[in-house]
Amino acid sequence: MRKRSIFIITALLTLSISLNTLLADVIRIGYTQDAKNLDPANHRSRITEGIIRNMYDGIMARDSKMNLWPELAESFKQLNDTTYEAKLRKGVKFHDGTEMTAEDVKFTFDRLTKENAMDGQTSPRKSLLGPLMETTIANKYTVRFKLKNAWPVFPRYLPFQEIVSKSFVERVRTDGLATQVNGTGPFKLVEWRKGDSIIMERFEGYYGGATGIPPVGGAKVDRVIFKIIPDSSARVAALLAGQVDLINELPVHAMKRVEKNPNTKVLKTLGTRSFFIILNNTQPPFDNVLVRRAANLSINRKLIIDKLMNGLAVPLNGILSPQSFGFNNNLPELKYDLDQAKELMHQAGYSNGVDVILDSEAQFKDISEALASQLSKVGIRAKVQIGERNTIRADWVPKKEKKRDMYFSSWGSGALDPAGIFVPNLKTNARGNRSGYSNLVVDHSFTKADAEPNQEKRAEHFRQAQDIVAKDLPLLFLWLPQDIYGASKRLKGWEPSGRGIIKLHDAYLQ
Amino acid sequence: MKFSKILERFLQLIPVLLGISLIVFFMIELTPGDPVEIMLGDEISTPEQEASLRHEMGLDQPVHFRYYRFISNALVLEFGQSFYHRRPVIDLITERLPATIELTIVAMFIAIFTAVPLGVIAAIKKNSFIDKIATVGALFGVSMPAFWFGLILIMFFSVQFNLLPVSGRITYDLEVPNKTYLLLIDTLILFRLDSFFDALKHILMPALTLGLAMGAVLMRVTRTSMLEVMSQDYIVFAESKGLKRFRIICWHALKNALIPTVTVAALETGSLLGGNMIVETIFGWPGLGRLVVEAIFDRNYPIIQTAVLLYATTYVLMNFIADVLYTFLNPRVSL
Repeated sequence: MRKRSIFIITALLTLSISLNTLLADVIRIGYTQDAKNLDPANHRSRITEGIIRNMYDGIMARDSKMNLWPELAESFKQLNDTTYEAKLRKGVKFHDGTEMTAEDVKFTFDRLTKENAMDGQTSPRKSLLGPLMETTIANKYTVRFKLKNAWPVFPRYLPFQEIVSKSFVERVRTDGLATQVNGTGPFKLVEWRKGDSIIMERFEGYYGGATGIPPVGGAKVDRVIFKIIPDSSARVAALLAGQVDLINELPVHAMKRVEKNPNTKVLKTLGTRSFFIILNNTQPPFDNVLVRRAANLSINRKLIIDKLMNGLAVPLNGILSPQSFGFNNNLPELKYDLDQAKELMHQAGYSNGVDVILDSEAQFKDISEALASQLSKVGIRAKVQIGERNTIRADWVPKKEKKRDMYFSSWGSGALDPAGIFVPNLKTNARGNRSGYSNLVVDHSFTKADAEPNQEKRAEHFRQAQDIVAKDLPLLFLWLPQDIYGASKRLKGWEPSGRGIIKLHDAYLQ
Repeated sequence: MKFSKILERFLQLIPVLLGISLIVFFMIELTPGDPVEIMLGDEISTPEQEASLRHEMGLDQPVHFRYYRFISNALVLEFGQSFYHRRPVIDLITERLPATIELTIVAMFIAIFTAVPLGVIAAIKKNSFIDKIATVGALFGVSMPAFWFGLILIMFFSVQFNLLPVSGRITYDLEVPNKTYLLLIDTLILFRLDSFFDALKHILMPALTLGLAMGAVLMRVTRTSMLEVMSQDYIVFAESKGLKRFRIICWHALKNALIPTVTVAALETGSLLGGNMIVETIFGWPGLGRLVVEAIFDRNYPIIQTAVLLYATTYVLMNFIADVLYTFLNPRVSL
């Protein structure tokens, strides 16, 4: 009887506790997916990197405006065309209390770049370091990166890599590093509840972070929890219910609801994913530049952005983000001009129009149908065909013959460098070149830019390439959307970054 | 029951599983999509990196060789490494399986303990108000999509009234005891009542969403079966003997009426274990279904192949259990 009473009282007390009761200094993030693996070298997922970046720091980092700063490095400079030097901060501790030195940095980069260096596995992130050949130790706090050939974009790819502890990895090995963490980041791992949540707590020995990204110091909150909520409606519901303080990938249609809620707000930043329609340049009708130009002029980008995207995108006249290195400010604007588009179709011999298929994914159905409707006004009668992303891509394999016409697509480049988006999509036979576009002059500009150590000259090569592409119009350039987050109004000290990495070093709840 | 019969049924599993593994393996291989390209995504890569990854994933081998290697490894419970997690498949599956099993058990519990009594009452009081409510409720239960109902529950219980959590298995600041890996049982065994009730709050909505659809089916089956049994001669005889109504229903009628219900419940459990991907996604439930959905989109072959083998085995086993239960409930029937 007594035991039953205790049971009932405890049950009632527990049930009466409000769900919003929580430790005072905990930030909860409603996140789209779980980390694949906690080993910084053993994944190729931006979502995973977003989690890892709270527990591991790197040689370089980006701030919320996407500027590059030394992080674990005190300074970073280029010694010659193929050699870079990083002087490391002294006294930086791993979570186990051991000091980070040049040995750990060399170990990290050897692990990233050498074949089978991860206990028989090769890092899938190896190619993100380009022609990095060797990492050498100059002294206890200085490392040098030696490249096989000049690759001026090398510093921009360093924020993608995080430093691991040599002694720790040698002890736990690659298998262990998949689920255990010993980084230099502002938070250390408490528990990884697979598929459910990742719980981190403040690392009291944190060195403070990049001096160029204030405030410098320890993390402001005791704990950070990444709660995995894959469904966007459920994620929004969790935010509205106060069960999380921040969510990523807030859908456009839910923005008003979050804005109206007295406890929540919407945060936005320009993203790094350019949207465009791939046109099959290898067969009619889009093998004709006049038709490609007509397609580009038939789209009222501003109307679609305003009506279907809540105004949250920037129209593009090329493939690069306006924040990208080498962005050409002087590209001719792709104005909405139906008359000129119709005239171009007539000149191309398509006065009666042409029937084409526009491949698209389900999440972009509305936008694709709006685009198809606009294209049809100039005689490009596009029928939208919805498919699963990877099934569509099987019909658009670069370097292989393609029978399709148009594909609503996108490409992300967190490095904000043409090497990561312009070259893969528009160089002849490049891995992302699904349009079949080939222009040897453009290729030559890319080759020159790839090896050019002078940044201004490099930028000029890319600008020239953009001028040519603006005439050829191999793609139907569309827009660069903003990344949208929902947050509690109590959340301060955090701004979204275009790369989509949620790092909570400076965040706190008021 | 003869041991030889049981052994015979188990041996029948082998060709069934082989056949299923063959079909699934080749179907996945034929599905468009390149796992290497998917993994590398955007950003830069090199042909050497692609070749290296393809080799590590074993995708540079002929497909028949890959199948042979998959089957021979599966016989020793070695299922390879996930392409994307870069960890053993068996680890990933065993991490997620308890959550799915727990959700299935609770959903079954809700389904059986609401559907069976309701089905019995609906049958006894045929055409009454209760019968009509039960019938309409069953129609609602089978017609309503799980993703819609789940979201409605979330909007009502989480957003509107803040009573239940939207996602997960347990609140982050509560320790997770791991004995059986079934949280409700582990927390009770260790008498951690706060954790028990917290875990109960988390599982309630997903289990209700899953259990409702199954309960609707079970209710209809129970009602139909009960109506048939109640019209049998032996029931009339029992009534004429003067036995109490309650005894007739529970002792004489229900045992026979439950035969089809038990069979359906066993089969439904088999499908639930494999088919709750939608509910797990909506509620962020960290189960196997969600892992498999992600694996399908990523073309993560090792996980898909292993999970399908597991689902097939489970389904066949549940069929077998249903047959065994049937022989207990109806001794006239043998295996």
